[in-house]
Amino acid sequence: MTTSAHWRVVGAGITAFSVLVLVYLVVPTLVIVPLSFSSATFLSFPPPGWSLQWYEAFAGSADYRIAIFNSIKIGVPAALLATIFGTLAALALVRGSMRGRRPLSALMLAPLILPQIVLAIGLFPIMVKLGIIGSYPAILLGHTVVCLPLVFITVSASLRSYAPTYEMAAMTLGANPWNTFRFVTFPMIRVGMVVGFIFAFTFSFDELILAIFLTSPATRTVPRLLWEQLNYQMTPVIAAATVVLLLITISLLIAAAIVNRYGRGKEKAAFE
Amino acid sequence: MPPVPKSDAAASPPHRLRRRAWSPSRGNALLLLPPLLLLTAFFIVPLATVFIQSLSGDTLGLTQYREVVTNGATVSVLLYTFQVALQVTLGALILSYPVAFMVSRLRGNLLHLCLGMILIPFWTSTVIRTYAWIVILQRRGVLNEAFMDLGLIEKPLRLVSNGVGMQIAMMHIMLPFMILPLLSAMRGIDGNLLRAASVMGANPWRQFVSVYLPLSLPGISAGCVLVFITSLGFYITPALLGGQRTMVAVLIEQQASRLLNWPLASALATILLILTCALFILYERALRSTGGGRPAGETA
Repeated sequence: MTTSAHWRVVGAGITAFSVLVLVYLVVPTLVIVPLSFSSATFLSFPPPGWSLQWYEAFAGSADYRIAIFNSIKIGVPAALLATIFGTLAALALVRGSMRGRRPLSALMLAPLILPQIVLAIGLFPIMVKLGIIGSYPAILLGHTVVCLPLVFITVSASLRSYAPTYEMAAMTLGANPWNTFRFVTFPMIRVGMVVGFIFAFTFSFDELILAIFLTSPATRTVPRLLWEQLNYQMTPVIAAATVVLLLITISLLIAAAIVNRYGRGKEKAAFE
Repeated sequence: MPPVPKSDAAASPPHRLRRRAWSPSRGNALLLLPPLLLLTAFFIVPLATVFIQSLSGDTLGLTQYREVVTNGATVSVLLYTFQVALQVTLGALILSYPVAFMVSRLRGNLLHLCLGMILIPFWTSTVIRTYAWIVILQRRGVLNEAFMDLGLIEKPLRLVSNGVGMQIAMMHIMLPFMILPLLSAMRGIDGNLLRAASVMGANPWRQFVSVYLPLSLPGISAGCVLVFITSLGFYITPALLGGQRTMVAVLIEQQASRLLNWPLASALATILLILTCALFILYERALRSTGGGRPAGETA
């Protein structure tokens, strides 16, 4: 009896430790929320009083408005391009039977694994040579490359979740490759593509290192603006901006979760 | 993934059907062309550029590497980077293992709550999370104020600009990279194996050491490699929270954009690149030799 009581204590210990770690994960972001409503001009905790001044300053700031606009102008097309290229790669490497699929798959994942600083200092001279440094195409192409693996992962997972026999059935019934894709493959991987798109956009929206090297003040993104402000001064405007960005990230994640759940249900229904 | 015939020469009927079907290998090779061109132009060529730049110098090709190896400051940055990456990896593993274990046994709403607590920080900008840690750890930050109010300390602790804060923040940012692979390994462990061990008379500790731990090993190695590699190339947090001693990514950025010493920056980047690739290849080998990391149907 005493030994079983002993193991119960161990179990409770593990749970308590885990809860503490989860708190460590969540608390840092939560600390920012009250600071963003502070009436003080410096970062003190708990805030001496409450006010919306930092949200007003954030809403009135042309710098932030332009940066958010830039981030969207870069993130949406980059995610779209990544979705197209990533889906093509997944179709070829999951369904195909050509040689060297393992190293090619590794290549498709590599931009996510290799340190971005290395890619950044490699892309910089190329963009200079192409004459597009600091302009939209430069950062757009950079972000497309680092976002591609995310789409490749999600679409590959969708393709693996069902057997290629569906496609073969369509073919034996006389469908040509395009119709097979249009009516069989695409409906099955659509959810993976949308989730991959959202992940890619979120990633581009948060990416800093390529942005430091490849954007100019005219094309700078939100993370780069935050970065410059952090290196200059630490006003609670950053906290207000952070809370707004957090809300954007969380709503995108919830959207991805809803698409995933709803889409999977529909896929099942289509084949019953 | 279904087994794919290895040789193109095999021509059994189902295989021929496959080849004529929508996914003929030739057609698929064509699909691969656009992504391959994109990656060649804006991934492979840039990495090759970094390597070629690293060889340019006043005299022989290896000038930059000699500079890296003989300059005590550079060597110390590389060693420090390794040390920090190792400490962060071990710290993250110790913190993550119990969490992944607990979450892997949850169901329903509690599971979703815990997954949310892990995924939301995971997808939150690193700049934002680093900012949060500055707010918490700085001289007049949340932690110091709280400790002083409680009378635990008399004057603020120095938590930023000396590596302590940097490692606390890095570990926080890396935790999801460790928890998620551990979680996926642990959710694949068959509970009946533990029950069997228990029936055989193994106490919980014995069950853990001889059954559970070995089965969770693929998750441990995946998480550790991921966290170690990411820590090696980490820029944002070391740049904002690190002190006098910088990590190698910060040094690369300083050399390239502030000191305009592109050859040296490229040499350091090449070293980082080769280390990362080598670690990743080693890890892939290890995974393949243990049979882990493959989709379930393939090993059977």
